[in-house]
Amino acid sequence: MTSLQSTKINILRTFYVLAALFCINFVYSAEGGPCKDYGECDEFKYSLNDIESLQRGVSTYINYCYGCHSLQYSRWGRVAEDLQIPEEIFFENLVFDKSIKPGDLMIGAMPKDSENWFGVTPPDLTLVSRYKGDDWIYSYLRAYYEDSSKQYGVNNLVYPGTAMPNVLLSLQGNQRLVCKNIPILAKNGGQKRDQSGNPITKEKCGFLEVEEGTGKLSKEEFDSLIYDLTNFLVYVGEPIKATRERIGWYVVFYFLIFTALSSLLYREYHKDYN
Amino acid sequence: MFGIASKLFSWVNDRLPIVNTFERHLSKHPVPSKVNFWYLFGALAAVTLIIQIVTGIWLIMPYSNTEEQAFSSIEYIMRDVDYGWVIRYMHTTGASLFFAVVYLHMFRGLLYGSYQKPKELVWIFGCTIYLAMMAEGFLGYVLPYGQMSYWGAQVIISLFGAIPYIGESLELWVRGDYYISGITVSRFFALHVVALPLILIALVFLHLVALHEVGAGNPEGVDIEEHLDDDGVPLDSVPFFPYKVLNAMVAIGVFGVVFSIIMFFFPEGGGYFIEMANFEKANPLVTPDHIAPVWYYAPFYTMLRAIPDPLGGLIVMASAVAIFFIVPWLDRSKVASIRYKGIYSKIAITLFGVSFLTLGYLGTVGVTEVRKTMSVICTVIYFAYFLLMPIYTKYEKTKEVPERL
Repeated sequence: MTSLQSTKINILRTFYVLAALFCINFVYSAEGGPCKDYGECDEFKYSLNDIESLQRGVSTYINYCYGCHSLQYSRWGRVAEDLQIPEEIFFENLVFDKSIKPGDLMIGAMPKDSENWFGVTPPDLTLVSRYKGDDWIYSYLRAYYEDSSKQYGVNNLVYPGTAMPNVLLSLQGNQRLVCKNIPILAKNGGQKRDQSGNPITKEKCGFLEVEEGTGKLSKEEFDSLIYDLTNFLVYVGEPIKATRERIGWYVVFYFLIFTALSSLLYREYHKDYN
Repeated sequence: MFGIASKLFSWVNDRLPIVNTFERHLSKHPVPSKVNFWYLFGALAAVTLIIQIVTGIWLIMPYSNTEEQAFSSIEYIMRDVDYGWVIRYMHTTGASLFFAVVYLHMFRGLLYGSYQKPKELVWIFGCTIYLAMMAEGFLGYVLPYGQMSYWGAQVIISLFGAIPYIGESLELWVRGDYYISGITVSRFFALHVVALPLILIALVFLHLVALHEVGAGNPEGVDIEEHLDDDGVPLDSVPFFPYKVLNAMVAIGVFGVVFSIIMFFFPEGGGYFIEMANFEKANPLVTPDHIAPVWYYAPFYTMLRAIPDPLGGLIVMASAVAIFFIVPWLDRSKVASIRYKGIYSKIAITLFGVSFLTLGYLGTVGVTEVRKTMSVICTVIYFAYFLLMPIYTKYEKTKEVPERL
């Protein structure tokens, strides 16, 4: 390859990169991301066919969230059925009010004066995965940090100033915002070093770090707990989602066959006048 | 048995022109023998209209048009009604695709001059259908009574307030209350399910009757009525059944694939078909971060925002729709189809298409200085396409149109 060619290719590459940057900037310049100070939300991939994950999720929800957050459009019996939990076991272990029947809506157990406790009434969460998005929930629940200036001693990177205390603190442990020394990258992509060969670093802040030994769960265990919980919220936001995606293939397949047959017929008749 | 049935049929047919009408407007109706895919969107629009009417009827049954229950009745449909989710998603997907199909159908009209003499009335009925659809879509969007329903309605209804003198009273009259409330929802419900569908069906009927009177066009812009056979049927035509029907079947198949992919896998359309904020119940005390219309109104919403003055914005937005009505008299070209028009027309329609899409994109995102400038530029191009049409179509060199198709 001649040097002229490679220069050309480089110019072209630079052009594409600039064009891509321009487009990205064009799209994102007006809105800050939905995860605010957290930066990009962590990606969440739901798996609604993983029934065990959903079962763990509903159990976490009922034990840690349902005390404040209702699921008012969802019915107890439906959840038990969809999550393949036998009704006796479900009602024995997850339904604390014994007067509740399977057809009842999950309207919550929050007393009326909750607004005085938090400043706002804890919102119903049936549809939270649909108006906030699953990425948001997954990031939010893992982005609490210690902040003594707040009423409950915690703040959240995804939702700064959130009114909700970190109810999962005993599981996660005490998470703090810390500063770290980040190596500076040189233009060629390698690390910048000083004369004696030590990497040059720069202090950057805003990293989340859990104080060791303060929580019952390890980071991986806690992440997977939140995964299951988020997965359950995706389910409860649209209980037919898994069914919908399953049926969808059949319908698309039907229309493909329909298109194929009708275009064969159309071609045959088209010969009449062409 | 069959003897009685056929006797009964001929008894009715002697008194009601069933066979005649069927043959004249359907089975034997002559259509141009050579058309391209652009000519299939009309049929698809008819299919979508039927989907909307049928699913709409079933949605009315469990829907509740009160302030307290509108939102929860939608969730009731999605969760507790058997296959309620199928019906609802068909209706929401259908609404977006109805607009998509109609936009393509209208663009076909601009491409191939489907408004030129003697098709002016077909075009005008079509434009009126589009206008009625915009109203129908807006009214329907308010019914789930989510956050975006509420705040979208707030923005649109406050547009009436920009009209001098009568504005404020008009706004109050439309809303039926001092703010958007259950009263607004229930009247929008009445309009959405009775008044506008009646108007739409009547307009579609007129659109088709007028079309059948003057005959369908073709991408060459050839007048097929010029060459008739001994029975008075155009030589370059084929009967509607089975030829056009089969052609439409293929289109319906492809449309079905697209429709079901969206409906079963992406019913929210990435937040463009059902906006995320609309999964939150309407809350008059909390404004959403970013109020955006559904995609099909976005180009006009951008024009509204591009003008700083509310009344000016309203006038520009209304003119952007109204200007379609006078297109038959703006085009001074001797030829109908873009294939035989000159270079200016080709440049103009390309710029128009690009600016329309850009306006659409800009309407769904927040405002920045650059985007504001872009929306002004695109609005100018949009109007220039129409307003300069008498000039560029008259003074450009056109190609010779063939005699036959």
